[in-house]
Amino acid sequence: MEPMSALGPASIALLFSVCALLILTSVMLAGTSDWAGVPVVLPFLALGLIAGGTGLRPLLYQDYEVCFDLGTLTLVLILFDGGLNTPLAQVQMAIWPAAVLATVGVVGTMSLFALCARLFHSSWTQAFLLGAIVSSTDAAAVFPILRGSGLQLRKRVVAVLELESGLNDPIAVTLTIALTASLSGQGPLTLATLAHIPIQLLLGAIVGAAVGYGGRWLMLRARPVAGGLYPLLTLAFALLGFGLPALAHGSGFLGAYVAAMVLGNGPMPCRGGILRVHDSLAWLGQVAMYLLLGLLAAPVELLKVAPQGIVLGLALALFARPLAVTLCVLAFRYPIREVAYLGWVGLRGAVPIILATYPILARVEGATIIFHVVFFVVLVNTFVPGATVRWLTRRLGLESQEPPAAPALLEVISTRVLKGAEIVSFSLGASAAACGAAISELPFPPDSAVILLIRGEEVIAPKGATVLAEGDHVYVLCQPTDRPFIRLIFGRSEAS
Amino acid sequence: MSITDILTPDMVLPDLSSDSKNGVLRELAAKLCARHPEIKPERLAAILVERERLGSTAIGDGIAIPHGKIEGIDSILGVFGRSLKGVEFDSLDGKPTHLFFLLVAPEEAASLHLKALARVSRLLKSATFREQLMSARDSAEIYRLIIDEDEKY
Repeated sequence: MEPMSALGPASIALLFSVCALLILTSVMLAGTSDWAGVPVVLPFLALGLIAGGTGLRPLLYQDYEVCFDLGTLTLVLILFDGGLNTPLAQVQMAIWPAAVLATVGVVGTMSLFALCARLFHSSWTQAFLLGAIVSSTDAAAVFPILRGSGLQLRKRVVAVLELESGLNDPIAVTLTIALTASLSGQGPLTLATLAHIPIQLLLGAIVGAAVGYGGRWLMLRARPVAGGLYPLLTLAFALLGFGLPALAHGSGFLGAYVAAMVLGNGPMPCRGGILRVHDSLAWLGQVAMYLLLGLLAAPVELLKVAPQGIVLGLALALFARPLAVTLCVLAFRYPIREVAYLGWVGLRGAVPIILATYPILARVEGATIIFHVVFFVVLVNTFVPGATVRWLTRRLGLESQEPPAAPALLEVISTRVLKGAEIVSFSLGASAAACGAAISELPFPPDSAVILLIRGEEVIAPKGATVLAEGDHVYVLCQPTDRPFIRLIFGRSEAS
Repeated sequence: MSITDILTPDMVLPDLSSDSKNGVLRELAAKLCARHPEIKPERLAAILVERERLGSTAIGDGIAIPHGKIEGIDSILGVFGRSLKGVEFDSLDGKPTHLFFLLVAPEEAASLHLKALARVSRLLKSATFREQLMSARDSAEIYRLIIDEDEKY
């Protein structure tokens, strides 16, 4: 007998099949993500638009709350993944500029954008609401484009862009909620409401950090029967990282991000497996959000706001973001090309889409128009910087050569946290000092060693007499303190 | 091997004027080639840039050890350079680089080249020594500091 379902057995079967097809397509498309720098998520926007026309759209409109909850979950997973992948060194390198960009920068972008939006909207609050919705950036949208083309950005630029994009989402969310509330008849926006925002952020950061440290403690003590259960633990921490701060009236999004950062920088059993699961979840979340944006947008409404949306989208890309960024990073005395780059690469991702459903849920006047304008703003701000980012990277001389991916990943998987050395792999270039030397000639620090060599398709046991040749992939067991020297003689480590 | 075999007193630049990565590499190369006319400065600079493409030789803590192999020489040659204001050199820790030790090795001397790199990177490990180098008055004082530090090993 078929299982019972609210939708009926036939519809649930259809739903599963459609979802499966979409996931399959998204994964297949991911391999070819660099057509002219168009992010892989864009086809899903189109797909959503088409699918919406088949009768799904009215169904979803009745269930806006479901979309909203789904969006919140997705955003938590995306932020959590970002936090897990943020090394402490990157935080130390970029925290001040990123923090200024994520606070002053968001408010600045919102205000400058509101100036333009006021031309089309009757009230300032509405213009600011629109500004708040589109004010946060998404680094996850930028980096696949660069990686796909073998380009890698200067470390500091990457660090600032990534950290900024993680930190500014919670602030944009908080601003959007405050502005939505004031528009939905809960009284005008007062200074007291605004003053509450920093408190929410602080509370979110503190409770989030507590969840992170609690998670670290638990991870080291929990001994699940299988290593595969660890990602479930971290998934629970992601939900807690949002839930606990939000229950305490703090920013749950900042909480999830900070919790992940604390966890990711601590000792973690089965680290590789955990990261891979969260990467996939975040990736699926991105795709789902673009699909949802396409599904929720009504073509008729889109046509009506198209001129406004495109003008405002360009205003954000060419005016609001660059100006706000330039003013923010002035104090840090960055070279002008880095400032220009930071200002240009403000790609918008899934977050504005989720935020645009807030006013609809709160039945704010003009919310449908706002939603459809956001559609265009996101589209323009994915396309324009996305399609030019490679050219600009080269033009401004900010690229550094991306190391080739390792042909094989060597990883020690253990349910215990192992201390000491890590495995780093290098692709040997002709100009590396170690190229042409026998392994016995390498002046290795006492606690590091070459443990594996891959030459062509062949896996070789490295012996003292083995001479390293150009193109070899060398796997080194390396103490963290020896890493700078090892990299000095081998070159840059491969991407894992 | 000792540093005196690699670095001579006249191969110290106490105040590099370039403020870019490639500029510093050219400045160090020019210094070496002035003394060793058998090496062409453009050729050396190209080799150094090629090595940087594999990953920056700025290993953090304000230090960079640019290096390369070149034909036509028979021993390891070095130049020490100091940039008081610091240069953006894509360092591992993202901080500006102040102290540069250029090492150029003969083509077929991989083992010697590696030993020299190990020696120089160990030399620059001590934070107090790096501070002394930064506050040294002139090239003679820098050279003496380097030789004294090297003798400790």
